[in-house]
Amino acid sequence: MTKNKDVLLKIRDLKIQGYSDESWVDIIKGVDLTLHRGEVMGLIGESGAGKSTIGAACMGYARDGTRISNGSIEFDGMELTTATESERRALRGSRIAYVAQSAAASFNPAHKIIDQHTEAPLQYRIKKRVEAQEDAMQLYEKLRLPNPTEIGFRYPHQVSGGQLQRAMTAMAMSCRPDLIIFDEPTTALDVTTQIEVLAAIRDIVEEYNTAAIYITHDLAVVAQMADTIKVLLKGEEVEEASTKEMLDNPQEEYTKSLWAVRSFESPQKYRPKDGVPLISVRNVDASYTGGDKVLDDVSFDIYEGMTVAVVGESGSGKSTTARCITGLLPPSKGEILFRGEPFPPDYRNRTKDQLRQCQMIYQMADTALNPKVKISEIIGRPAAFYSGLKGAKLKNRVDELLDLIELEPSQYYNRYPPELSGGQKQRIGIARALAAEPSFIVCDEVTSALDQLVAEGILRLLDRLQDELNLAYMFITHDLATVRSIADEVVVMQHGKVVEQGPKDDMFTPPHHPYTDLLLSSVPEMDPNWLTTLLEERGIDNVGDAAAARIDPKDKKVSTT
Amino acid sequence: MNVFVIIYYTLLLGGSCLAAFYNKRSAFLLLFSLTLVSFILGIVGGVGALRIVAICAGLLALSAMVSYAFREFLVAIAPTNLAKELRTAPLTAGFGMFIIFTYAIAGIFAPWIAPFGEAQIISSAFAPPDETMLLGADQLGRDMFSRVIFGARNTVALALAGTVMAFLLGALAGLLAATTGGWFDQILARTSDVIMSIPSLIFALLMLSIFGGELANNTTSFVLLTIFAGVTGLLVVTAVSERSLLGWIIGLAVLAGVSTSFALGMLVIFNPSEIILVLVVAVIYSPRVFRLTRAVAGNVVVMDYIEAAKLRGERTWYLIRREILPNSTAPLVAEFGLEFCFVFLLIAGLSFLGLGIQPPTADWGSMVRENATLISFGDVTPLIPAGAIALLTVAINFVVDWMLHRSSGLKG
Amino acid sequence: MGDILRLVGKRLGLGLGILLIISAIIFFMVELLPGDIAQAVLGQGATPENLAALRKEMGLDQPALVRYFDWLTSAVMFDFGNSIVTGESVVDTISTRFANTLFLAAYAAVIAVPISIVLGVLVALLRNSIFDRVVNVLTLTSISSPEFFLGYILILYLAVKTGMFPAIASLSNDMTFGELLHRTFLPALTLVLVVTAHMMRMTRAAIINLLASPYIEMARLKGTPPWKVIVKHALPNAWAPIINVVALNLAYLITGVVLVEVVFVYPGIGQALVDSVSKRDFPVVQACCLIFAATFILLNLAADVGAILTNPRLRHPK
Repeated sequence: MTKNKDVLLKIRDLKIQGYSDESWVDIIKGVDLTLHRGEVMGLIGESGAGKSTIGAACMGYARDGTRISNGSIEFDGMELTTATESERRALRGSRIAYVAQSAAASFNPAHKIIDQHTEAPLQYRIKKRVEAQEDAMQLYEKLRLPNPTEIGFRYPHQVSGGQLQRAMTAMAMSCRPDLIIFDEPTTALDVTTQIEVLAAIRDIVEEYNTAAIYITHDLAVVAQMADTIKVLLKGEEVEEASTKEMLDNPQEEYTKSLWAVRSFESPQKYRPKDGVPLISVRNVDASYTGGDKVLDDVSFDIYEGMTVAVVGESGSGKSTTARCITGLLPPSKGEILFRGEPFPPDYRNRTKDQLRQCQMIYQMADTALNPKVKISEIIGRPAAFYSGLKGAKLKNRVDELLDLIELEPSQYYNRYPPELSGGQKQRIGIARALAAEPSFIVCDEVTSALDQLVAEGILRLLDRLQDELNLAYMFITHDLATVRSIADEVVVMQHGKVVEQGPKDDMFTPPHHPYTDLLLSSVPEMDPNWLTTLLEERGIDNVGDAAAARIDPKDKKVSTT
Repeated sequence: MNVFVIIYYTLLLGGSCLAAFYNKRSAFLLLFSLTLVSFILGIVGGVGALRIVAICAGLLALSAMVSYAFREFLVAIAPTNLAKELRTAPLTAGFGMFIIFTYAIAGIFAPWIAPFGEAQIISSAFAPPDETMLLGADQLGRDMFSRVIFGARNTVALALAGTVMAFLLGALAGLLAATTGGWFDQILARTSDVIMSIPSLIFALLMLSIFGGELANNTTSFVLLTIFAGVTGLLVVTAVSERSLLGWIIGLAVLAGVSTSFALGMLVIFNPSEIILVLVVAVIYSPRVFRLTRAVAGNVVVMDYIEAAKLRGERTWYLIRREILPNSTAPLVAEFGLEFCFVFLLIAGLSFLGLGIQPPTADWGSMVRENATLISFGDVTPLIPAGAIALLTVAINFVVDWMLHRSSGLKG
Repeated sequence: MGDILRLVGKRLGLGLGILLIISAIIFFMVELLPGDIAQAVLGQGATPENLAALRKEMGLDQPALVRYFDWLTSAVMFDFGNSIVTGESVVDTISTRFANTLFLAAYAAVIAVPISIVLGVLVALLRNSIFDRVVNVLTLTSISSPEFFLGYILILYLAVKTGMFPAIASLSNDMTFGELLHRTFLPALTLVLVVTAHMMRMTRAAIINLLASPYIEMARLKGTPPWKVIVKHALPNAWAPIINVVALNLAYLITGVVLVEVVFVYPGIGQALVDSVSKRDFPVVQACCLIFAATFILLNLAADVGAILTNPRLRHPK
């Protein structure tokens, strides 16, 4: 697979420590890595696996609060761990470059994009200012940025996220480095935008035969980009193999389990023939104070015991819809019906019983649980508040709820949220919603902050609870895999409008609305040739933001795929 | 070249070499740059300058040792959780805690520690220090040392009362504003903007010029205190008895009783002019506390768990008490320390101008003013009460600095 | 550009509104006095005839609201009436004093602002070194000491013991500029010590706050040397907080100068205020308070406008 046999980067027995709670603890526990010239290696693993830390270490850089404690990092024959700071610095930007996760935050808001681009070439005296600027414009053109001669003279906040990410890749290329570290470059982007960035990165890395380390948690993405894949778990290597071999024939149990997630699929339920929907959103318009309309004539129904997934990219209005239903944002037009009866638009005017019927589970379990309150009180409070339980009865109820979410009551009763892991916190959030004995729960991106294995556990739990307690869910998500596994019905939103809705099996089979079609086709698949095939089939101009901008919510359905 | 100079340089150079040998970079740089500075100082200022350097270094070392020992002492007697926190305190914070502790002892036990009464005239004016009068006498022949000790009680008590009142009003208003939002929040924010755009010392002078004269009597101060306590209590009643008429009636009845008895209690402790002073600083500083509390609580209010509690239908008072306060105690405690310093400096400044605490009450600010003429004779007496003020505020700032550093460090 | 103008306009309007409210507070607080100013001037023993005559002379027979607008309109034209102690025009008494105070503040600011910004940047660069810690302790000490403590220490060592500078900053008209600077050096130095420490700490904090930003890490990973990271990448984004703290301290220099003026017997407006407060000369008190408040608001306004103008997002709208 390797294009050239020269070893560029050799890491041996690397150990990195992080400072936490008054002492140094190992976060990277002895990792080896060999990268050849022109090779692209994918580093994958869940959060806390140490991918980013290794990425920074490849540049001889330890972030604040970390230190390289052991091992050797040899870049093109030069030992970085013993080199002086100025020797290491001389490599950065010129021979090893870095592309960060959030381009919007990683460009300095005070300077023009092109001035930041030319900073490194000017500093290393590789080019004069005018040459460097011309070169930047060429790179912008290669990366298919619109108006390549002009875009660099804008300030970062004047350019969209996907374009900034490509501009940052161009900036990394400015000195034609031997190695680029890509640190989750597309994680913060919407799927349709992601495609353009992926294609741009792949092409430019190939063209200049640059070696790259591509860090991500998304297997399908890494399959498109990397020649070899290295899997990490908690600061240790699990296995490494060429991309094809890794996908077809993973060796280790952990890798297999990563590959196997999303096998879960809940059986699809259908609406009762005749019946009143539990929640019914009728022609709702909404806007935040003084702003433009965020929701425009949104209508859909949710039936008892069923899951409706609301899908869309950032800014499509899916979370705003949830705020309208819960009463946090009273709609400017239209109404919310509960079992046919109108709900007061403002939550402050709802009765205790109306409030209990409709509960919420949040995306960030960290901010959803009060860190200074014991688990027993977090779960116990709704039970005491709505049902007036006290003393032993209350304790029994809390135990029952902890059992329900598969946590051992005696172990968790007296603990505080910061002592729990992400998945456990999310379970506590679920228990708090259940404690109110609701009929309907809004799940706002509940799995997107979790690692895949943990997320799957949460999905299975929610599905089980739905069957046992006959709950209805409104599932807000941007992840189509989640939709596939848990939804009964799907609502697709774009720019505050519903573009398509219906039962799940209809939605995943053509004909689609063009926007649904674009969304579905943009989700990366495990096949290493997926991106190539897609671009060949559709052409580079028919994917990404450009394509999304051409779609009108009223377009007819199409059946391309 | 005398023995002192030889020992001086031997110690410095030996220390530098040892530090260099054991790779203690910062210690080496410190010691060796001190050596270099000493060469110049020695040439310019002679042995005397070196002696001053040595005395300063000795004093620094002494206070470092006291701070270290005091911190270890606190660690030893504190419960486990607190001890773990205390162990992170730098020496400056240890020093600060030691000073605060000393002042507290001096203030509480002043009548027993001070050898003479605070207004007792025992010798001639400006008598120099001797065995009975450690720091000499002031402009009326009263014992300076006793008056400094009593000052710890009077000045600090007054500043503490002012800070507590400013804090109660400001913090309650801030919490309520952050939780309820809307027009209530807007009105309070605008009001505090207006008050804060008058410089504090100027505003204090303006208010004292109005209330300082014949208005500083028992009736006025009682009425003003009751009004202040009433406004503060009204905030509590608003938060507790949300939308319930009975709650309002009971709340207001309790409030009336509490605020009048508070006012009466204050009148027993302080005289009317002091109460006016306390009220003035409370009015000036409560908007600052309000702003900070609102900012701190504002960071908590946007959390999802507050939204969850609101959606559950919880009352404002529950939100404040159970959800917001536990998550904002650390910055609020630090802010209390800072505000105390500001209040303390303001009161000291006013007294220094002759408009604050009135004689014969022993008070550091007025003591500086009364003895100021001595400074032109090269006498340090007026610097003693001024230094006492500085030492306390510096000490509190050291502790606050550490606490702020801790709470910001733990955020990520 | 329209956005900026609108924001600046809004701030100006807000500042004017606040100033108006403050003028009302200053005016109507005096109304709280039992009796009225005439009573306060003449004391308890005044005869009713004398009182009535004075009331008529001061226009006190008019309703309060009318008098407020009279006072305000003449204040806008720099006429604050006459002192009730000396009977002289208030403007004449305080205008030279205000000029003196402005001079002292400017003197201190010219020294303090550049020093503190440069030192603040330097300390941010050397953060967590022993130099940083020593500076931290020194600045904390300087901030928390009362001005009169610093002032008297300076008098003791630089005036009384060594005689390098005069302890009392008396001014006369025939001084050369150099002499003026020499005479007023100690009060200026006291002010410099207090504000430099504060501005330096805030500059340091503003820069260090930014050092955690991803774009700073990006700059480091581009191989930018540490000093350039601070000067080129952190400083341009730290201007808003720095301008804010400089304005705050300039405001302090003009208004908080009262204590320093008293210590050094400097003929400034602060001392005039203190004197008139103890003499209960209300027209002078009102005039001084209004001038101080106006200066304070003006400087805060300048800071807000400065922060708006240095914000790249506002300067270069989409």
